[in-house]
Amino acid sequence: MLEVSGIHAGYGKIQVLKDVSLEVEEGTIVTILGANGAGKSTTMKSVSGLLKPSAGKISFLGEDVTGLRPDQLLRKGIALVPEGRQILAGMTVLENLEMGAYHRKDSEIDSDLNKMLERFPILKEREKQLGGTLSGGQQQMLAIARAIMSRPKLLLLDEPSMGLAPLVVADIFKIIKEINQSGTTVLLVEQNARQALKISDKGYVLETGKMVASGNATELLSDARIMEAYLGKRSS
Amino acid sequence: MLAELINPYYLQVGCFILINIILGISVYITLSTGQLSLANAGFMGIGAYTSALLTIHFDLPIIIGIIIGALVAALCGVLIGIPTLRLQGVYLAIVTLGFGEVIRVIFVNWETLTNGSVGISGIPHIGREILKTLQGFGFQPMSIGLQNNQFIFLSIFILLLLITIFVIWFFRRQHQSRVGRAFAAIKLDEKAAESMGINITYYKVLAFAQGALVAGFAGAMYAHILAYISPADFAYHRAVEILIFVVFGGSEVIWGPIFGAFFLTLMPEVLRFISEYRYMIYGLIIIIMMAVRPQGLIDVPLLKALSKKGRKRGQKHGTGNHKSM
Repeated sequence: MLEVSGIHAGYGKIQVLKDVSLEVEEGTIVTILGANGAGKSTTMKSVSGLLKPSAGKISFLGEDVTGLRPDQLLRKGIALVPEGRQILAGMTVLENLEMGAYHRKDSEIDSDLNKMLERFPILKEREKQLGGTLSGGQQQMLAIARAIMSRPKLLLLDEPSMGLAPLVVADIFKIIKEINQSGTTVLLVEQNARQALKISDKGYVLETGKMVASGNATELLSDARIMEAYLGKRSS
Repeated sequence: MLAELINPYYLQVGCFILINIILGISVYITLSTGQLSLANAGFMGIGAYTSALLTIHFDLPIIIGIIIGALVAALCGVLIGIPTLRLQGVYLAIVTLGFGEVIRVIFVNWETLTNGSVGISGIPHIGREILKTLQGFGFQPMSIGLQNNQFIFLSIFILLLLITIFVIWFFRRQHQSRVGRAFAAIKLDEKAAESMGINITYYKVLAFAQGALVAGFAGAMYAHILAYISPADFAYHRAVEILIFVVFGGSEVIWGPIFGAFFLTLMPEVLRFISEYRYMIYGLIIIIMMAVRPQGLIDVPLLKALSKKGRKRGQKHGTGNHKSM
């Protein structure tokens, strides 16, 4: 579905990604792992159009989408839940969700909205509340729900577990799994390696801008060398 | 009786209030995407000079001059809006302030065209043109008990009032439309707006162009009402004055700049003795507002409270049906 081949990207003179390639097959969950500064978020920004890669090619559903703007990519079906959630703090929960459907003009927006409120009861409870007054976990749910309102084929999640309590993190991963089961392909960036791999089909490991390992999620989880080198020792 | 009530001086003050309201709205529009533009005095000058020169040298009808003046200002808005897309906050303010000064310096130095700092006089006067046209149809102001002078100012005032109402109506509608939502989302969080599929480049430049268009329009009206313009009319002081309307009245809702422009234009006229200290008072207002009420006098909670009160009173008297905001 998504094919990233040999992209280079960076900020100004600083090259962050060096020849990164990855592939996401339809219906799967793929996780990109790596330490701080490895280039995970930069990869996400490149795929979602926030950053133009200086070399390489990105294709989506067989079409070359390299260098398209974020709004064009969203119309093609790639939605991003940005790092740090980026809720519209001054708008209500309902307005935030409506903004997710900004580019849509069909008649099913309202029914999608209701579905979303059913799916996330806590959001329904607080639909009139300003986005900024929600807790971290609720904001993350709102950010995910808002992205789904655009009816994406591919959902990009940039560190959805960041800054959340362990219990809430488990909740968020459950939600991601459910979204995937209802037919949306997911590309995930995480530091929370074990939990992310548990729900994933495939994983990639980034280190200082280079892809250093990849494989099935179960393989990566059982590869002691990789787990130790890149993802930290199991602390039990 | 009507004739005694219509005092050209009051009408002129009324006209300035309306023009200042339009100028206040022009800053509000750009600001509703989170961009602070201090170039609106410059855009106003561009509109004024364009229209004045076209009507004087090419004998164009005033309406055409005003429209072209506003469009040229909008074009300049796009030209400055695009390179400043990446700038935010105080940096954008500095660049736009600089742009305004550049425009003023051009007016002063391009003497063959603009008459330099002497300014342009003998600009066709809207009120007189209206009167002339109507007289062409055999209308005489005396027939409704007015002197020519009174009729001229009354016609300008009514024209401006209609235009101002249209401008307010249009931008309130826009605020509630897709465009308004996009503006609001960009103001709240550019990154989030972008990830929601809002083309932020387009909307930010659009807001800049709209602000410039409205300011240019106000400038062109100003030129044809005063019949005389000079570079000093569009200098730094004007930019600050327009900004004060928004800072004082509020930038969250359109009623903020409207109230700010109304109050601050009327104040020096009513209290003549303070008009000399005008700019001192403006400075004081900025400082006090920043410390006490940075969002301006009129904000969303205040409007909600007012409309609730109104509704209660309405219910008591059995009229009800108040629209909020």
